[in-house]
Order: sequence, then C-alpha cells, then structure tokens
Amino acid sequence: MAGHDGQESGGAGSRAGTKVRPNNRRVAQWARDYVRLPGIPDEYIGQDGAPRAVWTRFFDAFASLSPSDIQRRFGSADRHLREAGVTYRAPGETADRLWPLSHLPLLIDEADWQQLTAGIVQRAQLLELVLSDLYGEGRLVTEGAIPAAAVAGSTEYLRAVCGVKPPGGRYLSIYAADVGRGPDGRWWVLGDRTQAPSGAGYALENRLVLSRAFTSLYKSMNVERVAPFFEAFRDSLRASADRDEPRIGLLTPGTFSETYFEHATLARYLGFLLVEGDDLAVSGDRVHIRTVAGLKRLDVLLRRVDSNSLDPLELDASSQLGVPGLIDVVRKNGVVVANMPGSGVMEAPALLGFLPSLSRRFLGEDLKMPHIATWWCGQKAAREEVLSRLDEFAIEGAYGRGVPGFGRGPLLAGELSASERERLKTAIADRGIDYVGQELVRLSTTPVWDNGRITPRPFVLRVFATATPDGWTLMPGGFCRIADQPDARAVSMGDGARAADVWVVSDKAVSTATLLPAVDTVRIRRIAGVVPSRAADNLFWLGRYLERAEATLRLLRALGMQRDAGKGSPTVLPALERVQRLLVTWGAVSQTSRAQPAKVVAEALQSEEKFGSALSLVRSAQRTATSLRERLSPDAWQVITEMSERLAQEVEDDDGVMIAAELTLQELASFAGLAQENMNRAAGWRFLEMGRRAERAINTVRFARQFAYDEAGGEDLDILLTLVDCQITYRSRYLVGPLLAPVRDLVVLDPYNPRSVAFQASALNEHIASLPTLKEGGLIERPQRLAVALQATLTTAEAASLDTKTLFALEQDLLSLADAIGSHYFPHGPNASRPEKLTGLA
Amino acid sequence: MIYDIRHVTSYSYESPVSYSRCSLRLEPKSGDGQQLVSHTVDIRPKPADRTIRRDFFGTHTESIVIETSHRSLRIDSRSRVSVSRSVPARGEGSRAWEQVRDVAFESTSLGPESPIGYVFGSPLVPLQQPVTAYASQSFPKGAGILAGAVDLMHRIRTEFKYDSKATVISTPLREVFEKRHGVCQDFAHVMIAGLRGLGLPAAYVSGYLRTIPPPGRPRLQGADATHAWVSLWCGDGLGWIGFDPTNDILVENDHIVLAVGRDFSDVSPVDGIIVGSRKQKLAVAVDVMPVG
Repeated sequence: MAGHDGQESGGAGSRAGTKVRPNNRRVAQWARDYVRLPGIPDEYIGQDGAPRAVWTRFFDAFASLSPSDIQRRFGSADRHLREAGVTYRAPGETADRLWPLSHLPLLIDEADWQQLTAGIVQRAQLLELVLSDLYGEGRLVTEGAIPAAAVAGSTEYLRAVCGVKPPGGRYLSIYAADVGRGPDGRWWVLGDRTQAPSGAGYALENRLVLSRAFTSLYKSMNVERVAPFFEAFRDSLRASADRDEPRIGLLTPGTFSETYFEHATLARYLGFLLVEGDDLAVSGDRVHIRTVAGLKRLDVLLRRVDSNSLDPLELDASSQLGVPGLIDVVRKNGVVVANMPGSGVMEAPALLGFLPSLSRRFLGEDLKMPHIATWWCGQKAAREEVLSRLDEFAIEGAYGRGVPGFGRGPLLAGELSASERERLKTAIADRGIDYVGQELVRLSTTPVWDNGRITPRPFVLRVFATATPDGWTLMPGGFCRIADQPDARAVSMGDGARAADVWVVSDKAVSTATLLPAVDTVRIRRIAGVVPSRAADNLFWLGRYLERAEATLRLLRALGMQRDAGKGSPTVLPALERVQRLLVTWGAVSQTSRAQPAKVVAEALQSEEKFGSALSLVRSAQRTATSLRERLSPDAWQVITEMSERLAQEVEDDDGVMIAAELTLQELASFAGLAQENMNRAAGWRFLEMGRRAERAINTVRFARQFAYDEAGGEDLDILLTLVDCQITYRSRYLVGPLLAPVRDLVVLDPYNPRSVAFQASALNEHIASLPTLKEGGLIERPQRLAVALQATLTTAEAASLDTKTLFALEQDLLSLADAIGSHYFPHGPNASRPEKLTGLA
Repeated sequence: MIYDIRHVTSYSYESPVSYSRCSLRLEPKSGDGQQLVSHTVDIRPKPADRTIRRDFFGTHTESIVIETSHRSLRIDSRSRVSVSRSVPARGEGSRAWEQVRDVAFESTSLGPESPIGYVFGSPLVPLQQPVTAYASQSFPKGAGILAGAVDLMHRIRTEFKYDSKATVISTPLREVFEKRHGVCQDFAHVMIAGLRGLGLPAAYVSGYLRTIPPPGRPRLQGADATHAWVSLWCGDGLGWIGFDPTNDILVENDHIVLAVGRDFSDVSPVDGIIVGSRKQKLAVAVDVMPVG
C-alpha cells in the first residue's frame, strides 16, 4: 500500500542523529513562533505559559524527523487519502472534495480524557432516560420539568412513535457530543448528536492514514486504539436483535449524500450491508432486503437517514429515502432501528437548559461536564434576560436548523444591522419559544502545521459513545474539525475547515502499548452472504461498462495503428471505414467527425460529450463503482480513478492518444486481475463477471458481423483478429493468412479461446447455474433456459455454416440473455418500478 | 342532526399494480358535539391484511395491504353520525388573543388535545413572515381572539379565489398565498399558517359538509367532496372552535369531523403507496344525507 512506511526508525532517526542535537532547538523555535490568541486557552501551551507534557513528548519525537522527511510523510498521508478516495461533499455542492487532513493530531492526555469520559457517559445515560420518558409516560412534561413547547417545537419529536417501545430496548445505540475546552480549562459540551451522528468513519480513516504515515511516532506515543470501540458498537447492535446471527444494514441516503464515503467505510469495516431505502421492503411484520436470492429478513437497521425521511407512509410523504411501512414494523417490534426514530429530539438547544435539573432528578447528581449556557426564550425570565443583554448572546433556533425568520444561525445581535436587530428583538418577544440565547464561549486552540511552523487554530471535537450491556463506552479519540481562520465561531466541514486525528495518549509504560498492534489495522470482515439486488445490478453494469470501454479502446487503437501503417492503401480503407462506422454506432464519435480521421481517434478516446467515448464509459463505470464502494477493494477503486483521470487529461498529439489508450487497456486488464484474485466470491463477484462476459460476447459478435461477413477480405479478418486479440493464436494454428471459416471458428465457436463468443456463453452458463433459483416448481428459469440454448447452438455449430444472418441471430440471443439476467435477478434494482405515492385527495 | 355519509374513493391504474399499502382515516370522530353511530368500510380487491389502531391524534387508522395484482382500488366507506354543537355568535366577546397565546405557550401537556402541538410549523404549513403579517391585520393589539379569527376567515373568503383547478396537494403554501387562490385545503392551510405565526394554536380538520343545504340556505362550497377547515383553540373557556374559511362560517351542525391533525398530512383520508403503475386516476364521491 502506498503511504505505508515501515522503515522509519532506520531512515529518519539516523539522519537526524548526525546533527548536533538539533531537535531541542527546533522544538524551542516552534514554541517561540507559536503565538497564542489573546485571551483564548490553548492545547499545546497551558494557562501557566508552559507547554503541556503530552505535547512536549510529541514534538520532541516529531522533531527527530528531518524537515524533508516530514514533508514526505505528509505527502504520503495525502496520497493515501487521494488514492483511497476519502471524500466529503460540502452542503449544496455536487462534486466530492478531497478530505483535508490536518497533519498534526490533537493530543489529549489520559487524565483529561477520563474527565471527558465521565461527563459524556453520564450525559448519554441521562439523554436515554429523558427520551424514554418523553416517548413513554411523559411525566417530565406533565410535572413541569420540561415545558411542553420545548419538545413540541422540534421536528424530531415524532408523534408517530409516541408510546412505542423501542425494539432492542433502547433509544440511543450511538451518541455523539461536540465538545471544546473552555477558558476554565474544562471540557464543555456544545451540542448533542442523538439522531444519526456522522464522523466516526472519518475518524477511523484519519487514524489509519496518520498512523501509517508516522508509524514509529504513533507507536512511541502509547495512543489508545479506536478499534475496540467499533467492536463494541457492532456487538451492541448485534445483541439488540432477537436472533443469534442477525442481519444488520446501514441505511444510507445514497451516493448523493454528503457523507456517503463514510457510510461505505463503516459498512465495510463493521461488516454491515450498505442499503438504500429501495433495497428494503416491508412484508408481514418484518423488514426485508431485496437480494438476488429473494427477500431476506433484516434484523437491525443502523440509520444515516433522518427520522422524518424514514417512512413516506407515516412521516414525510415526499421522502424517497425511506421504506414505506417501516414505522409500523417498529411499532410491532419487528426491526431494531438505531438510533430509534425520534431520538433526534434531544438535539434541540431548547432542552439544554433543563438538563442540569433533570440530571439531579434522574441520577441524583449534578452534571459532571458543563454545556454551553443556554437560555430558552419560551420562558419569561430567560426571554427578558436575553432581550436585556441581547449583544452578549449568540441567538440560535430553539430546535436547531437556523434562526427562524433569518434562515441562518447562530446570529450575533451586535453584528446585525439596526433594522435586523430590531426584527430579531420583535421576533423573540412575539414567539420566544422559537429562540435560544447562548453564551459566547472562547474555546481553546490547537497547533496546526503551517509551512514548517506551528500555529494555533480553534477546533471542535466530536466524541462518540456506544451503549453496551455494561454501560456506555467511548471511542478514545474522535473527529476533530479545525478552523482555517484564527477566528471561527462555527467550524463546519463546509467552510474551509480541516479534520484531524485525535490521539488519547496513555501515561502508562510502553509495555502495554507494545502488546497491542501498533497500527490500527482495518479488520476486513466478510460481507454477509446476501447480495442485494441493487448491488448485483451495479456490479453487472460495472462489468459491462468496463468491457465496453475495452472494446472501444481496441477499436480506436486499431484505427490509429492502421492509419499509421497503411496510409492510403485502397484495400485497407473499406475496413477502416467499418471501424469508424462502429465507433459512430456506439456513440463514441459523431457522424460529422468522420471527415477528419485524425480527430476520430482522439474523440473516441476523450470526448466529454459522446456517451460512448472511452472517457465517458470509464466515468459511467466510476459512477457505478461509487455506489459499490463498500464492495470494492481500495486498489480496485484506485485503478478506476486513475483511468478516469488519465483519460480526462489533455494529450498533445496522435502518439499521446495511442499511449493513453494503451495504458488504459493495461489498467483495465489489471482491474480484471484484481477482481479475479481479490474479490470475495460471495460478495457479488459473479455479477461483475456476468456483466463482463455478456458484454464481451455481444461486442465480439458485433465485430464478427462487421469484419467476418460473408464476403470479408483479408484486411477485414486481420482487423478482427486484432480487435479480439487473437492474432497470435491464429498464426500459431494456421500457416496461411486470415481465411473466413478458420477466423469465424476461432472468434465465435472455439470454446478454448477466452476471447470467443462460445467461451463467454459457457462462462455465463456456469455462473447462472450456480445462482440461487427464485421460483419453486422445478421449472428451469428464463436466464438459464436462454443460456443453455445459446451454448448448445454454439457447441453444435460449424464454422462453414455460419453466415452474417446466423451471426445477427446470435447477437439478438445474447441481448435477450442480458435482458433476462437483468429482469430476473435485479427486478428491484434502480431501473425497477419503485413504490409510488397514491394521489392524495383534495 | 343525524347524517348518513357515503364516501367512495376509486383509483384506476393504467397498468397492473402488484402491491398496495394504504392508511385509511375514514371513521368519523366521536366527541366535541359529534357521535359516531355506525361505520363500515368495504375494500375491493380484498386486502391480505387489515390492522386497526388509533394514531397520535386519536384518529381511527386502518392499515391495509393488497398483494394481489389489481388495476383498480375501490374504498367504500359508510358512516352514520349524529351532530349537535353549540357555537358562539360571530360577534361574541372573548379573551385577548395575546393572553390565549401566552397560556398556550405555557402548556404542560404534549397530548393531541394540547394547544402546544398546533403553534409550530408542520410539514405542509411552514410559518412564513408574509402570511403572519397578513393575519396580524386581523389581530390588533388586545383584540378578542374570536373577533380576530372571524375577521381573518372573512378576509380569506373574500380575498382568495376558490378554484379547484388551480392547486394540487403538493402546491406549496407560499404559492397559494401569493396567487390568492386554491381549494378548501389551501384556505385552511393559509389560515392556520397565519394564526400559528401569531402564536395561536390552530389545527387542521378533515371532514364532510351536508350535500343539500337546509331549505332557504345556499349550497356550500365543497359539499360533494371531502372538506377541510380550521379548529382554533380560543383559551380554556371556549376551547376548540371550528372556522370554515372556504364558506366564511363557524362550524356548527352542517360539518362532520373525520379527523384532526396539524395539517393535511396528518389526516389524509386515504394515503398510501403502490408498486406497479405510473399513471393513476382518482375519483372521489361524497354524499351526506340528513336522516333526522
């Protein structure tokens, strides 16, 4: 794997050692240049002006790396992120952005971490208790501990699940909190994430990258591993189901989601099925997943879809992300949904102010960790407080999602125009229930690397906890977002922020650390043995796109080579004309381009507009692969990315075009090799193979029709042998030049030639035979019927009796077979009829 | 007054539908001056599964699943309801609307009857400043809540055009408000949005109107279909009062309540999903006959 470096101690250490103790000087220089922001606490330099021990340890070790070595390691970390395709999308954007990793981790020492852990665990317990009351007995509201309005105003207060006991027994399986360090040196909670917190998967990826780039530094720092947290999380979900080997799905909104990459990462890492709403169906009192082997029961759904989008029948009717009837299944205890729909109500800032007294009520103790002081303006005293000192507060919507009437938030009254400020005041006075005032806290800064120096930047840390049978457990570490500006009130990934790995550093002797693997290795698990129809469909098309790209590349290469070799030769011209015509038919070049042969090759390779160009086909493959991220190895993904990047690059001349085509063909071959060697046979490999075989068979027959037609001459047959990569085989078998019958036999009928139509047909037959049958009754199913018949035809045919007409019939049979595979195994794939809303009544 | 109600909903599909899952809210409510006497629903084709529950708002909700291929779906609902409501006069004095608002905000219940569930925006009724400003003209400082609501209802009746072709279910509130046209559902949503913008608890009611008016009174708009209106909480004393902005009348004995919720999405009489047909035709027939 690129980016991995196992020889750190030898290289960097010895080089640094030849100088006269430069390390201390460099660390001292960094510390001198590090100017803390006035009045703001810092992670590296404590309140007393001295560096904190844990950072000193880190920078001493870090300084032993030479500047060029540091740059190299940073580069390798970035390269890993790029190659692994770690991306996110800013809200409102359509293109993925590369993950911006800050190269220095955030360090937290053990004592500090214990304080944080105690606070978060207590908070998670409390929120669970509050949720069970709000959706259960409702005593908190009737007894006045929580005002009804502070709950009713939240869109996450789901009336549909009031009184429903959460299947699996709990509301929260995963809880996250955004925290920061306040001026008093304590950690503060800025907000609770109880709906479907994001970031854990990115944290995992950050750890992987940084621990690889700085292997021995990471090892020497005794960093707590994050893997046990994920194990605990998975075990907790597994235990929540009511059968032994539960099937667990991760419900994603789909590839357009801002954090789709993370969903795929988590699904792969945890061994869950990545599913979209369309993959699931309610039948009986259960949720099922549509697979190539029919409906299979799903026991647990880890959701990354917001509650209101989960069920168009009972919740947001316009949602296309959910499963009609899902809430009814939850009501009947038929599926565990984590977190329980409606849990998001605890994210409302309106509730923050009531938690301290709720903690005393439920737990008999004060909150161990403060949260940002919040005044809910639905109560008279708080409203008057906020209105009287408006400029001292950040005003936020009481239920999140921006300040009502302003469409953004938080607002600082002091920065508003006079008229806007007045409007805000009136709004708070009239409908105070919609607003909260929050105290402005100056949160601490942490060092970031900036061209050989370190500078302080504000950050927000998201920590994660999961419920286990033995209580809540935290991920030691978390997801840290660092602002790019020294002044940042809200740090979101959208506006120029960086992510950082978070190291919880143990004081304990190295011995405990060396017992553990130094690097967090991703524990690859087998994807559960079912292949969802949609995934199978995508795999099938991935195979087809890639194979079509290969055929297109072979066509344009043939054109380019013949053009160079036999310029103007009258016998070659008609054959070249045929190649061009095929490229036009396949949508690789436009009809008009045929006037300029030199341009045809380049257009077929790189056209952005033509859907059949090699570039467009590879991009289609890439798009399809995007929704298969959790099923493809990073290497396979990387090959596809490289192909699409290369084909998009400008080439200078005809040679450049040919070189690009050649390299892309090689990469296609290497993808095929990776699939063959690395892909789990249970995870849908067959469908990728079937797509490839079906497409190759169709293309080969088309080539044969064009170049081995009844009157085909030597030039035609020669091109055909090149196109199907059979020149060498032919020459080794026949001592004469290309003749019609032998060529037809080799290209169409020879079952031993891996490029022949017969070979593809027999492979398709084998795959279909090994797939589960869907219908009872013992009748042979349609795909198999067609495949068997096709193979029989090819097996019994003789080259001498083949003609253009039989070739055409063969092509039609192959197309029918491909269609039959689609409608038989992917009846619920993306092209299938999806549930429609009944037209409503006026 | 006792009514016999027949409410027939028919869907026809262009191509066979292999699966339907529907929620039916077709049984009229009991309570608030209304009593259900009898109710039956006949469904063709026959569902594979029928389950009944009360939803959050207390509405009788029947979930049906049809798994046999079908090209039409016919839901025939028959109810007998007796109605006897007392309604305040339009000009009757009432508490200042600000007081009602403040009491609602202090509510200590999350139940379906609690006013607090109806002061916030809901899926089809977002709170929008222009709509709130429009409503506030009917509610000068210290005005009685009844007088204000009657004025707002009257203004909607006179300033909005009833046009059954102008809108569909998905027409957003903003558009209805800007173009000043729509049907009963739109008028109810506009009035609710305005009232809630002011902090007043307003619920959406689906139901029926008597088809043939009593002698000497005009036939009401919306009498041959399902109807919709607004229920406003007017304080602890008056409680919930019905306002029909489509006809500019207070809800008395010509209205039969089917269900109450925050907006149409909570009470839709027939709602569901189908798998199979892209084109569907809907016909609704409602007949409300007084029987004594």
